[in-house]
Amino acid sequence: MSFEPKILGIACNWCTYTGADLAGTTRLQYPQNIRMVRVMCSSRINPSFIFKAFQLGADGVLVGGCHPGDCHYNTGNLYARRRLAVTKKILEFSGMEPGRFRVEWISASEGNKFAEVVSEFTEQIRNLGPQTKFKIEE
Amino acid sequence: MATSFKQIEENLKNEARKLLEDQKVSLVLAYGRGYDENHPVPFVAKVAADVENIVFNEYCTANMARYLVRYPRGTKMAIAVKPADSRAVVQLIQEDKVKREDLILLGIPVIGMKNSKTGEAIDGKTTCGLYNPVLYDVLLGEEIHGQPVDSPYDVLAQYEAMDKDERFAFWKKEFDKCIRCYACRKACPMCYCDPCFIDQNKPKWGDKSPQSHGNLMYHLTRFHHLAGRCIDCGECSRACPVDIPLYLFHKKVARECEEMFGQAAGNSIQDKPVLVNFRVDDSDKILE
Repeated sequence: MSFEPKILGIACNWCTYTGADLAGTTRLQYPQNIRMVRVMCSSRINPSFIFKAFQLGADGVLVGGCHPGDCHYNTGNLYARRRLAVTKKILEFSGMEPGRFRVEWISASEGNKFAEVVSEFTEQIRNLGPQTKFKIEE
Repeated sequence: MATSFKQIEENLKNEARKLLEDQKVSLVLAYGRGYDENHPVPFVAKVAADVENIVFNEYCTANMARYLVRYPRGTKMAIAVKPADSRAVVQLIQEDKVKREDLILLGIPVIGMKNSKTGEAIDGKTTCGLYNPVLYDVLLGEEIHGQPVDSPYDVLAQYEAMDKDERFAFWKKEFDKCIRCYACRKACPMCYCDPCFIDQNKPKWGDKSPQSHGNLMYHLTRFHHLAGRCIDCGECSRACPVDIPLYLFHKKVARECEEMFGQAAGNSIQDKPVLVNFRVDDSDKILE
Protein backbone atom coordinates (compact mmCIF):
# COMPACT_ATOMS: atom_id res chain seq x y z
CA MET A 1 0.00 0.00 0.00
CA SER A 2 1.33 3.38 -0.86
CA PHE A 3 2.10 5.84 1.90
CA GLU A 4 -0.61 8.40 2.60
CA PRO A 5 0.72 11.20 4.78
CA LYS A 6 -1.28 12.36 7.78
CA ILE A 7 -1.00 16.12 8.06
CA LEU A 8 -2.24 18.34 10.84
CA GLY A 9 -3.30 21.80 9.73
CA ILE A 10 -3.70 24.43 12.42
CA ALA A 11 -5.45 27.43 10.93
CA CYS A 12 -6.41 30.81 12.24
CA ASN A 13 -10.15 31.45 12.29
CA TRP A 14 -10.05 34.78 10.49
CA CYS A 15 -7.76 34.19 7.54
CA THR A 16 -6.54 30.69 6.78
CA TYR A 17 -9.68 28.86 7.87
CA THR A 18 -11.84 31.25 5.88
CA GLY A 19 -9.39 30.83 3.00
CA ALA A 20 -9.88 27.06 3.27
CA ASP A 21 -13.63 27.65 3.19
CA LEU A 22 -13.21 29.69 0.05
CA ALA A 23 -11.15 26.93 -1.53
CA GLY A 24 -14.04 24.60 -0.74
CA THR A 25 -16.82 26.81 -2.02
CA THR A 26 -14.94 27.51 -5.24
CA ARG A 27 -14.55 23.70 -5.67
CA LEU A 28 -10.76 23.73 -5.78
CA GLN A 29 -9.15 20.32 -5.61
CA TYR A 30 -6.56 19.65 -2.94
CA PRO A 31 -5.34 16.47 -1.20
CA GLN A 32 -7.46 15.10 1.61
CA ASN A 33 -4.45 14.30 3.75
CA ILE A 34 -4.81 17.45 5.79
CA ARG A 35 -6.88 17.55 8.98
CA MET A 36 -7.73 21.10 9.88
CA VAL A 37 -7.99 22.40 13.41
CA ARG A 38 -9.34 25.88 13.85
CA VAL A 39 -7.85 28.21 16.44
CA MET A 40 -8.79 31.82 17.03
CA CYS A 41 -5.34 33.16 16.19
CA SER A 42 -1.99 31.74 15.15
CA SER A 43 -0.57 33.03 18.44
CA ARG A 44 -3.02 30.72 20.22
CA ILE A 45 -0.81 27.84 19.11
CA ASN A 46 1.15 26.41 21.98
CA PRO A 47 4.44 24.96 20.65
CA SER A 48 3.58 21.81 22.60
CA PHE A 49 0.67 21.28 20.17
CA ILE A 50 3.22 20.73 17.46
CA PHE A 51 5.44 18.38 19.47
CA LYS A 52 2.32 16.52 20.59
CA ALA A 53 1.02 16.20 17.02
CA PHE A 54 4.28 14.60 15.94
CA GLN A 55 4.16 12.27 18.92
CA LEU A 56 0.63 11.22 18.07
CA GLY A 57 1.73 10.28 14.58
CA ALA A 58 1.36 13.33 12.35
CA ASP A 59 3.75 13.21 9.40
CA GLY A 60 3.66 16.95 8.95
CA VAL A 61 2.26 20.05 10.60
CA LEU A 62 1.10 23.08 8.65
CA VAL A 63 0.32 26.28 10.50
CA GLY A 64 -1.72 28.97 8.75
CA GLY A 65 -2.15 32.53 9.89
CA CYS A 66 -3.04 35.97 8.60
CA HIS A 67 -0.41 37.94 6.73
CA PRO A 68 1.74 39.96 9.14
CA GLY A 69 -0.02 43.27 9.66
CA ASP A 70 -3.46 41.82 8.87
CA CYS A 71 -4.06 40.02 12.15
CA HIS A 72 -7.61 40.29 13.46
CA TYR A 73 -6.07 41.04 16.85
CA ASN A 74 -3.50 43.41 15.33
CA THR A 75 -0.33 41.82 16.70
CA GLY A 76 -1.09 38.13 17.29
CA ASN A 77 0.70 36.74 14.27
CA LEU A 78 3.74 38.92 14.91
CA TYR A 79 4.24 37.14 18.24
CA ALA A 80 3.43 33.83 16.58
CA ARG A 81 6.06 34.44 13.90
CA ARG A 82 8.83 34.72 16.48
CA ARG A 83 7.55 31.83 18.55
CA LEU A 84 7.09 29.42 15.65
CA ALA A 85 10.50 30.33 14.27
CA VAL A 86 11.97 29.11 17.56
CA THR A 87 9.83 25.95 17.39
CA LYS A 88 11.24 25.27 13.97
CA LYS A 89 14.83 25.64 15.18
CA ILE A 90 14.16 23.35 18.12
CA LEU A 91 12.66 20.66 15.88
CA GLU A 92 15.61 20.99 13.58
CA PHE A 93 18.26 20.70 16.30
CA SER A 94 16.50 17.72 17.87
CA GLY A 95 16.95 15.89 14.58
CA MET A 96 13.48 16.19 13.03
CA GLU A 97 13.41 16.87 9.28
CA PRO A 98 12.83 20.63 8.98
CA GLY A 99 10.48 20.08 6.02
CA ARG A 100 7.83 18.51 8.21
CA PHE A 101 6.85 21.77 9.82
CA ARG A 102 5.72 24.75 7.86
CA VAL A 103 4.16 28.13 8.53
CA GLU A 104 2.24 29.93 5.81
CA TRP A 105 0.42 33.23 5.76
CA ILE A 106 -2.84 32.73 3.84
CA SER A 107 -5.53 35.39 3.81
CA ALA A 108 -9.30 34.85 3.64
CA SER A 109 -9.34 35.66 -0.08
CA GLU A 110 -6.51 33.30 -1.01
CA GLY A 111 -8.40 30.06 -1.60
CA ASN A 112 -6.04 29.35 -4.49
CA LYS A 113 -2.98 29.77 -2.36
CA PHE A 114 -4.45 27.46 0.29
CA ALA A 115 -5.04 24.69 -2.24
CA GLU A 116 -1.57 25.17 -3.71
CA VAL A 117 0.18 25.14 -0.34
CA VAL A 118 -1.65 22.02 0.81
CA SER A 119 -0.89 20.16 -2.45
CA GLU A 120 2.75 21.17 -2.36
CA PHE A 121 3.18 20.35 1.34
CA THR A 122 1.48 16.96 0.96
CA GLU A 123 3.80 16.14 -1.92
CA GLN A 124 6.79 17.18 0.17
CA ILE A 125 5.73 14.97 3.10
CA ARG A 126 5.05 12.08 0.73
CA ASN A 127 8.65 12.35 -0.43
CA LEU A 128 9.97 12.50 3.13
CA GLY A 129 8.12 9.32 4.05
CA PRO A 130 6.49 8.35 7.34
CA GLN A 131 7.52 10.24 10.42
CA THR A 132 8.92 7.78 12.96
CA LYS A 133 11.24 9.84 15.10
CA PHE A 134 8.78 11.43 17.51
CA LYS A 135 5.96 8.95 17.09
CA ILE A 136 5.07 7.03 20.22
CA GLU A 137 5.59 3.32 19.62
CA GLU A 138 2.73 1.11 20.58
CA MET B 1 44.96 39.87 38.64
CA ALA B 2 41.88 38.15 39.95
CA THR B 3 40.98 38.43 43.61
CA SER B 4 41.43 35.17 45.53
CA PHE B 5 38.40 33.16 46.61
CA LYS B 6 39.40 33.63 50.26
CA GLN B 7 39.42 37.40 49.80
CA ILE B 8 36.03 37.32 48.08
CA GLU B 9 34.61 35.23 50.91
CA GLU B 10 35.92 37.81 53.41
CA ASN B 11 34.41 40.70 51.42
CA LEU B 12 31.12 38.84 51.06
CA LYS B 13 30.92 38.25 54.82
CA ASN B 14 31.70 41.88 55.64
CA GLU B 15 29.20 43.21 53.15
CA ALA B 16 26.47 40.77 54.28
CA ARG B 17 27.08 41.59 57.95
CA LYS B 18 26.88 45.31 57.28
CA LEU B 19 23.63 44.99 55.32
CA LEU B 20 21.95 42.78 57.93
CA GLU B 21 23.10 44.89 60.88
CA ASP B 22 21.83 48.08 59.25
CA GLN B 23 18.60 46.24 58.39
CA LYS B 24 18.85 47.30 54.80
CA VAL B 25 17.86 43.78 53.77
CA SER B 26 15.95 41.01 55.49
CA LEU B 27 18.03 38.22 54.01
CA VAL B 28 21.24 37.55 52.14
CA LEU B 29 21.36 34.78 49.55
CA ALA B 30 24.84 33.28 49.48
CA TYR B 31 26.64 29.98 49.89
CA GLY B 32 27.17 27.87 53.00
CA ARG B 33 29.28 24.86 53.86
CA GLY B 34 27.93 21.50 52.72
CA TYR B 35 29.13 18.13 53.98
CA ASP B 36 32.66 19.09 53.03
CA GLU B 37 34.63 22.00 51.56
CA ASN B 38 34.07 20.89 47.98
CA HIS B 39 30.30 20.75 48.18
CA PRO B 40 28.98 24.14 49.21
CA VAL B 41 25.21 24.53 49.42
CA PRO B 42 22.89 27.49 48.91
CA PHE B 43 22.59 29.40 52.14
CA VAL B 44 20.25 32.14 53.36
CA ALA B 45 21.56 34.46 56.07
CA LYS B 46 18.73 36.12 57.98
CA VAL B 47 20.51 37.60 61.01
CA ALA B 48 24.01 38.98 61.41
CA ALA B 49 25.12 35.89 63.36
CA ASP B 50 24.40 33.67 60.32
CA VAL B 51 27.05 35.46 58.35
CA GLU B 52 29.83 33.36 59.90
CA ASN B 53 28.48 30.34 57.98
CA ILE B 54 28.91 31.96 54.58
CA VAL B 55 31.60 30.45 52.38
CA PHE B 56 32.81 31.12 48.88
CA ASN B 57 35.17 28.93 46.92
CA GLU B 58 35.65 27.60 43.41
CA TYR B 59 32.86 25.05 43.84
CA CYS B 60 30.12 27.61 44.58
CA THR B 61 28.44 27.11 41.22
CA ALA B 62 24.76 27.24 42.25
CA ASN B 63 22.76 30.06 40.71
CA MET B 64 21.30 31.91 43.68
CA ALA B 65 18.90 33.86 41.48
CA ARG B 66 16.83 30.66 41.68
CA TYR B 67 15.79 31.58 45.21
CA LEU B 68 14.69 35.17 44.55
CA VAL B 69 11.22 34.17 43.35
CA ARG B 70 10.56 32.12 46.48
CA TYR B 71 10.11 35.14 48.72
CA PRO B 72 7.09 37.43 48.72
CA ARG B 73 7.23 40.43 46.44
CA GLY B 74 8.73 43.44 48.15
CA THR B 75 11.11 41.48 50.40
CA LYS B 76 14.38 43.36 50.55
CA MET B 77 17.11 40.95 49.56
CA ALA B 78 20.80 40.94 48.97
CA ILE B 79 22.18 38.29 46.67
CA ALA B 80 25.66 37.11 45.80
CA VAL B 81 25.85 37.04 42.01
CA LYS B 82 28.44 35.54 39.74
CA PRO B 83 28.41 36.73 36.11
CA ALA B 84 25.74 34.32 34.83
CA ASP B 85 23.68 34.80 37.98
CA SER B 86 23.62 38.54 37.42
CA ARG B 87 22.19 37.95 33.96
CA ALA B 88 19.51 35.75 35.56
CA VAL B 89 18.65 38.59 37.93
CA VAL B 90 18.43 41.01 35.00
CA GLN B 91 16.15 38.59 33.20
CA LEU B 92 13.92 38.21 36.27
CA ILE B 93 13.69 42.00 36.54
CA GLN B 94 12.72 42.16 32.84
CA GLU B 95 9.97 39.64 33.51
CA ASP B 96 8.83 41.62 36.55
CA LYS B 97 9.31 38.77 38.99
CA VAL B 98 11.50 40.91 41.24
CA LYS B 99 12.01 44.63 41.47
CA ARG B 100 15.36 46.29 41.02
CA GLU B 101 14.86 48.52 44.07
CA ASP B 102 14.28 45.50 46.35
CA LEU B 103 17.61 43.98 45.50
CA ILE B 104 21.19 44.60 46.44
CA LEU B 105 23.49 42.71 44.12
CA LEU B 106 26.85 41.67 45.54
CA GLY B 107 28.75 41.06 42.33
CA ILE B 108 31.52 38.50 42.23
CA PRO B 109 33.97 38.47 39.33
CA VAL B 110 35.00 34.87 38.86
CA ILE B 111 37.61 32.95 37.02
CA GLY B 112 38.54 29.32 37.58
CA MET B 113 35.26 27.91 38.90
CA LYS B 114 35.14 24.12 39.11
CA ASN B 115 32.41 21.53 38.84
CA SER B 116 32.16 19.88 42.26
CA LYS B 117 30.97 16.60 40.72
CA THR B 118 33.70 16.10 38.14
CA GLY B 119 36.35 18.60 39.21
CA GLU B 120 36.45 20.00 35.68
CA ALA B 121 36.95 23.69 35.11
CA ILE B 122 33.82 25.63 34.18
CA ASP B 123 34.36 27.90 31.19
CA GLY B 124 32.69 29.01 27.97
CA LYS B 125 32.07 25.39 27.00
CA THR B 126 29.25 24.86 29.47
CA THR B 127 28.38 28.41 30.51
CA CYS B 128 28.31 31.93 29.10
CA GLY B 129 31.97 32.26 30.07
CA LEU B 130 31.80 35.87 31.28
CA TYR B 131 34.20 37.07 33.97
CA ASN B 132 32.33 40.04 35.41
CA PRO B 133 28.69 40.47 36.47
CA VAL B 134 26.64 42.63 34.08
CA LEU B 135 24.74 44.30 36.92
CA TYR B 136 25.86 44.84 40.51
CA ASP B 137 25.76 47.32 43.36
CA VAL B 138 28.95 46.25 45.09
CA LEU B 139 31.77 44.40 43.41
CA LEU B 140 33.51 42.07 45.86
CA GLY B 141 36.84 41.88 44.11
CA GLU B 142 38.73 43.43 41.28
CA GLU B 143 37.16 43.53 37.87
CA ILE B 144 38.76 40.98 35.56
CA HIS B 145 39.96 42.46 32.31
CA GLY B 146 40.24 40.64 29.06
CA GLN B 147 37.92 38.58 26.94
CA PRO B 148 37.13 34.88 27.29
CA VAL B 149 39.20 32.83 24.86
CA ASP B 150 36.32 30.91 23.31
CA SER B 151 32.95 32.21 22.29
CA PRO B 152 30.24 30.48 24.37
CA TYR B 153 28.79 29.00 21.18
CA ASP B 154 31.97 27.38 19.83
CA VAL B 155 31.08 24.09 21.43
CA LEU B 156 28.00 23.79 19.20
CA ALA B 157 29.89 23.40 15.92
CA GLN B 158 30.39 19.66 16.15
CA TYR B 159 26.70 19.03 16.88
CA GLU B 160 25.51 21.31 14.11
CA ALA B 161 27.73 19.46 11.69
CA MET B 162 26.00 16.19 12.50
CA ASP B 163 23.54 14.63 10.10
CA LYS B 164 19.94 15.01 11.35
CA ASP B 165 19.47 11.28 11.94
CA GLU B 166 22.71 11.14 13.84
CA ARG B 167 21.67 14.14 15.92
CA PHE B 168 18.30 12.57 16.65
CA ALA B 169 20.05 9.38 17.78
CA PHE B 170 22.32 11.47 19.99
CA TRP B 171 19.45 13.31 21.68
CA LYS B 172 17.36 10.17 21.98
CA LYS B 173 20.20 8.45 23.77
CA GLU B 174 20.62 11.43 26.08
CA PHE B 175 16.92 11.94 26.81
CA ASP B 176 16.36 8.23 27.40
CA LYS B 177 18.75 8.51 30.35
CA CYS B 178 16.45 11.03 32.01
CA ILE B 179 14.93 9.76 35.26
CA ARG B 180 12.57 12.75 35.57
CA CYS B 181 13.92 13.97 38.89
CA TYR B 182 13.36 17.55 37.68
CA ALA B 183 16.67 18.69 39.13
CA CYS B 184 17.17 20.79 35.97
CA ARG B 185 13.91 22.57 36.64
CA LYS B 186 14.73 23.07 40.32
CA ALA B 187 18.18 24.45 39.59
CA CYS B 188 17.05 26.80 36.85
CA PRO B 189 16.52 30.45 37.84
CA MET B 190 14.09 31.00 34.97
CA CYS B 191 11.89 27.93 35.70
CA TYR B 192 9.40 29.41 38.13
CA CYS B 193 6.04 28.37 36.65
CA ASP B 194 3.60 26.97 39.15
CA PRO B 195 2.45 24.49 38.11
CA CYS B 196 4.99 23.45 35.49
CA PHE B 197 3.31 22.34 32.26
CA ILE B 198 4.52 18.78 32.81
CA ASP B 199 2.76 18.59 36.19
CA GLN B 200 -0.59 19.47 34.66
CA ASN B 201 -3.15 16.72 34.26
CA LYS B 202 -5.66 18.58 32.14
CA PRO B 203 -4.39 18.83 29.48
CA LYS B 204 -1.77 16.20 30.08
CA TRP B 205 1.11 17.34 27.91
CA GLY B 206 3.46 14.48 28.46
CA ASP B 207 3.80 11.22 30.29
CA LYS B 208 5.24 11.60 33.77
CA SER B 209 6.95 8.24 33.91
CA PRO B 210 10.52 8.23 32.59
CA GLN B 211 9.87 6.96 29.10
CA SER B 212 11.21 8.18 25.78
CA HIS B 213 8.21 10.11 24.57
CA GLY B 214 7.43 11.84 27.86
CA ASN B 215 11.09 12.78 28.28
CA LEU B 216 11.22 14.20 24.76
CA MET B 217 8.09 16.25 25.34
CA TYR B 218 9.34 17.55 28.68
CA HIS B 219 12.78 18.55 27.46
CA LEU B 220 11.77 20.04 24.11
CA THR B 221 9.01 22.11 25.67
CA ARG B 222 11.34 23.22 28.43
CA PHE B 223 13.88 24.36 25.85
CA HIS B 224 11.10 26.28 24.15
CA HIS B 225 9.94 27.91 27.37
CA LEU B 226 13.50 29.05 28.02
CA ALA B 227 14.05 30.36 24.52
CA GLY B 228 15.40 33.89 24.69
CA ARG B 229 15.42 33.67 28.49
CA CYS B 230 18.10 31.10 29.22
CA ILE B 231 21.12 32.97 30.54
CA ASP B 232 23.50 30.08 30.01
CA CYS B 233 24.64 29.44 33.58
CA GLY B 234 24.84 25.73 32.84
CA GLU B 235 23.37 24.87 36.22
CA CYS B 236 20.79 22.47 34.69
CA SER B 237 23.48 20.18 33.33
CA ARG B 238 25.53 20.35 36.54
CA ALA B 239 22.44 19.50 38.60
CA CYS B 240 21.59 16.56 36.34
CA PRO B 241 22.33 13.23 38.10
CA VAL B 242 22.63 11.39 34.79
CA ASP B 243 24.69 14.07 33.01
CA ILE B 244 22.45 15.01 30.11
CA PRO B 245 24.20 17.90 28.30
CA LEU B 246 21.16 20.16 28.46
CA TYR B 247 23.39 23.22 28.13
CA LEU B 248 24.04 22.31 24.48
CA PHE B 249 20.42 22.63 23.48
CA HIS B 250 19.99 25.79 25.54
CA LYS B 251 23.05 27.33 23.90
CA LYS B 252 21.72 26.45 20.47
CA VAL B 253 18.34 28.03 21.13
CA ALA B 254 19.97 31.07 22.72
CA ARG B 255 22.18 31.55 19.70
CA GLU B 256 19.31 31.21 17.25
CA CYS B 257 17.32 33.78 19.22
CA GLU B 258 20.27 36.11 19.28
CA GLU B 259 20.74 35.78 15.52
CA MET B 260 17.06 36.09 14.65
CA PHE B 261 16.04 38.82 17.06
CA GLY B 262 19.34 40.55 17.75
CA GLN B 263 19.18 40.43 21.50
CA ALA B 264 20.80 38.15 24.06
CA ALA B 265 19.06 37.28 27.31
CA GLY B 266 19.81 39.16 30.52
CA ASN B 267 21.93 42.00 29.26
CA SER B 268 19.94 45.07 30.17
CA ILE B 269 16.96 45.71 32.44
CA GLN B 270 15.42 47.95 29.76
CA ASP B 271 15.04 45.09 27.26
CA LYS B 272 11.95 42.95 26.85
CA PRO B 273 12.30 39.17 26.53
CA VAL B 274 12.38 38.39 22.80
CA LEU B 275 9.36 36.11 22.67
CA VAL B 276 7.00 38.58 24.35
CA ASN B 277 8.13 41.24 21.94
CA PHE B 278 8.09 41.68 18.18
CA ARG B 279 9.15 43.99 15.44
CA VAL B 280 6.85 44.70 12.54
CA ASP B 281 9.83 44.28 10.25
CA ASP B 282 10.85 40.82 11.52
CA SER B 283 11.72 38.91 8.40
CA ASP B 284 9.63 35.95 7.22
CA LYS B 285 12.98 34.31 6.48
CA ILE B 286 13.22 33.21 10.10
CA LEU B 287 10.45 30.71 9.40
CA GLU B 288 12.31 28.98 6.62
